[in-house]
Amino acid sequence: MYPVAFVLLLLVAFNAGANLGRDDERFHEELVVRPLSGDHVNTYFQFTTRWHYGEKDNLYHTQLTPRVIAELLQQFAVKELHIGLTQGLWRYETWGYPIVEATSGAEMWAWFSGANLTNRDVDSQWKALANVFSGVLCASLNFVDNTNSIAPRHLIRPQFMPANGQRFVRYATLPREIVCTENLTPWKKLLPCGSASGFASLLNSGHVHNTKYHSLGLKVRVLCEDHDEDNCIVELTQTANLVYDLRLFELSNNDFSLRRLFGMGLNGYCELAESSKIYVQRNELGERYQLVPEPVHEVKTTRGGHSVVYSVYDMHEQFKEAGERLFNVAWLAPKSANRRRNLAKPSLPPVTVHRYLLGHGQERGRIVTVVTNSHYDALPIMLQEVIPWYVHAYLHTLSIRRKPQRVNEYGRQRLPFKLLHYTPGKQRELPSHLEIGFMLPGQTSALISIDVDYLLLKWLEYPPDANHGHYIGSAIVSSQLPMGRNYSALPPEGHLFEHSFNATRPSYVLSLHTEALIVSLPTPDFSMPYNVICLACTVVALAFGPIHSVATKMIIVGRQTSAPKNFVKKIFNQIFRRGKAADEAAAEGEGSPAAGAAASDATGVASARPAISPGSPSGDQPLLEDLDEEEEEQD
Amino acid sequence: MFNIMLVKFVVIYALILASCRVEADDTSVLPEGFVDAAQRSTHTNNWAVLVDASRFWFNYRHVANVLSIYRSVKRLGIPDSQIILMIADDMACNARNPRPGQVYNNANQHINVYGDDVEVDYRGYEVTVENFVRLLTGRTQNGTARSKKLLSDAGSNVLIYLTGHGGDGFLKFQDSEEITSQELADGIQQMWEKKRYNELFFMVDTCQAASLYEKFTSPNVLAVASSLVGEDSLSHHVDPSIGVYMIDRYTYYALEFLEKVQPFSKRTIGEFLQVCPKRVCISTVGVRKDLYRRDPHKVPITDFFGAIRPTRVSTDRINVTLANEDDFIFDKDKMVTKKPFKIVMESQFPSELFK
Repeated sequence: MYPVAFVLLLLVAFNAGANLGRDDERFHEELVVRPLSGDHVNTYFQFTTRWHYGEKDNLYHTQLTPRVIAELLQQFAVKELHIGLTQGLWRYETWGYPIVEATSGAEMWAWFSGANLTNRDVDSQWKALANVFSGVLCASLNFVDNTNSIAPRHLIRPQFMPANGQRFVRYATLPREIVCTENLTPWKKLLPCGSASGFASLLNSGHVHNTKYHSLGLKVRVLCEDHDEDNCIVELTQTANLVYDLRLFELSNNDFSLRRLFGMGLNGYCELAESSKIYVQRNELGERYQLVPEPVHEVKTTRGGHSVVYSVYDMHEQFKEAGERLFNVAWLAPKSANRRRNLAKPSLPPVTVHRYLLGHGQERGRIVTVVTNSHYDALPIMLQEVIPWYVHAYLHTLSIRRKPQRVNEYGRQRLPFKLLHYTPGKQRELPSHLEIGFMLPGQTSALISIDVDYLLLKWLEYPPDANHGHYIGSAIVSSQLPMGRNYSALPPEGHLFEHSFNATRPSYVLSLHTEALIVSLPTPDFSMPYNVICLACTVVALAFGPIHSVATKMIIVGRQTSAPKNFVKKIFNQIFRRGKAADEAAAEGEGSPAAGAAASDATGVASARPAISPGSPSGDQPLLEDLDEEEEEQD
Repeated sequence: MFNIMLVKFVVIYALILASCRVEADDTSVLPEGFVDAAQRSTHTNNWAVLVDASRFWFNYRHVANVLSIYRSVKRLGIPDSQIILMIADDMACNARNPRPGQVYNNANQHINVYGDDVEVDYRGYEVTVENFVRLLTGRTQNGTARSKKLLSDAGSNVLIYLTGHGGDGFLKFQDSEEITSQELADGIQQMWEKKRYNELFFMVDTCQAASLYEKFTSPNVLAVASSLVGEDSLSHHVDPSIGVYMIDRYTYYALEFLEKVQPFSKRTIGEFLQVCPKRVCISTVGVRKDLYRRDPHKVPITDFFGAIRPTRVSTDRINVTLANEDDFIFDKDKMVTKKPFKIVMESQFPSELFK
């Protein structure tokens, strides 16, 4: 048994080295583990397929790149595509900046470029693209259409675009979207090894959805040689960013391990992967942990004056020997008095954002975004806001007020706009799109507010759970940092996490998402039509009888010859009139048949009956019986 | 250049029985009776449309219902691409679920019906009467993803399972709209006219469920309902740890039965129709057989709940054409090395605006 396994492994190793004979397509898997403050652990998976496919015809023969991505490039003029499916909120203040940014719910944007492409073509391609990924990722992305998409002007920039030709961009978010196993399953199926082996085998639904924050990302970009599309590279980057809360594991100490986080150890690497590495952050909050097994390699990276130390486990080395079964890394916390919680906080990130709603009632409100700059120098800030069509924004109320960090109140002082772009929304057709830019002085907060009205929707426009409220997607805040503190995003030219090592640049572009908002639009009482119908019918039924009777009955006034003249006798007569009337009727018959029945409950008419009866010429018994029966039912 | 047109269909007739002949006694591989039944089956492929029409956390049981059937059909071999699963609300990742990513059929957590690799095709607000009728009749909107279409044909056996809150002649969708039995019957009639099914098994677990199949007129439809008109369908039991009912009685016993079915099982649809006697279900299970031409007791359950292809047995020689071998072998010499180029990235921030 042993030699057989050994030979098999050798074969596997040989295959991996040969990379299936194709040099222009490579797949890498990476896992980054970063302890965060407050007993949180960030695990970031990145799976990258980079294929130098050359000319477009080669897209018909896919190997590691999933077919759907290759078909996408044939079908659509898309050059760059980002999709994020996220549950939870990334806490910038305590966790620092994530490696990839995402907003709660679904977010999607794409760049299009091609010959003779018009805005209308792009609209239809965008909708079709969203539909494709709604099927591929089992998400409700098919709700993306022109009513919730915008064409960002300044904030969202393409990473790479052919210099010639027009380019178009579309952006949409679906803040209500839920992310669960049904999204993870097809996402894993896009990987060359699926979930069978490699790092993806760690992503088991029960352990992924147990987290405080989980975000699945998919990014496709096409890099072509200038001015022609005959020499191109397609990059597919799939990311899974998770934040575990160790307190939920109910541990007696702060130790954790891969097995504890993911439910199982690592069963090996994906045989198709060129590299398969685990990076573990060792400095800052990772400093207190002791790693088992001891890492062999260590990387120290300095980026923009900020140093980070990573220990590296190379899975190709780890699984070289046949004896290795499951690989596990354990983080052992010191057994000192300070064993309870990891309260150490990282240095506060230079820019943080928050957003909330002001106002009360369901008629109007105010959207407020707070951007705080804790850096000592001024920073350029840009903000992009998509306001859905059911919320009307008033541009004249837009203002940026400032306050130094030491002060509690926002003063009257306004910050000037460096940039203001506004596309007004249109009811049921277009969302409002707002982009502003301003310089935020150091150690200062800016409060950006805009007044809004909430619209009363039509009955059928409300979702089935109308009282849950409607969402306003998160705003994007972008800035350019002069230093790399807390910054761990990949540089745009890099495609692997290791490309962010020592990637010092003159500046670092930061993009943050605020919270999404939920507004309760004026929601009608949906059972009201039913209630109104019931009430109206009752009133009509009650009114119909007497009115019909009055309108159809012939009233003949006859003199009652035998009427007593005496007052006492008159009263006596009044009291016994009802019984008498019936007797008389029995004797002489009733003149008006059905109308009398309907009228019988109305006292006024009933009292008129004795006056009628004597005058009536004739009548027959059955009719009278009918009348009596109906009287009983009604009572 | 590669010749792309050289894609060929390789049709391989199963020679399983031939191997059975070698070991004539070994009937465990493929029982004789099954082979007979399978040969009498007239379908070529299987599809399943599984719908949970109700929203909100207190309807957890309906999601558990539909996932129970999903789990069974998937286990018995219908691939995800041929299962259309519609779930009107998210229970697995609901904030109220103490076990994220898991939905159980039982308070003792016997079976996680949600599983680790579920694919939900229509979810949340997408589950509407319009989408359901469009799905059945094949009139989906332009650009609808392939996984959201019922691409069945005249050889398809289709299983339709509905669960939710219903009444006499209707089933509520999302607590805001209804599908009536007439609409359902019309949809199925249209499916028949468009040759979208060979045989159809209609299964519904809701109150007064039998009213939903009353209007059917299309041929080859076998229908089963969890309760008769005027009867309520009842839930099975409550899980105190989540505070809601886990699953409905009828589906609970149906799953119990289906769990014992293996891909080559000899169980029949006739047995399946009797899974929930009144003693355990409390409601009376309604069955409509008049549109169905076969005897349910002779139809293997895998005709609807599995994807067992009919097998033609041949003892003659068969010529099998293989695709051109060159297409599968990678020739390194033919490979044109693509010339590397310099990539210049764009600026990610419009700093010129802040000058």
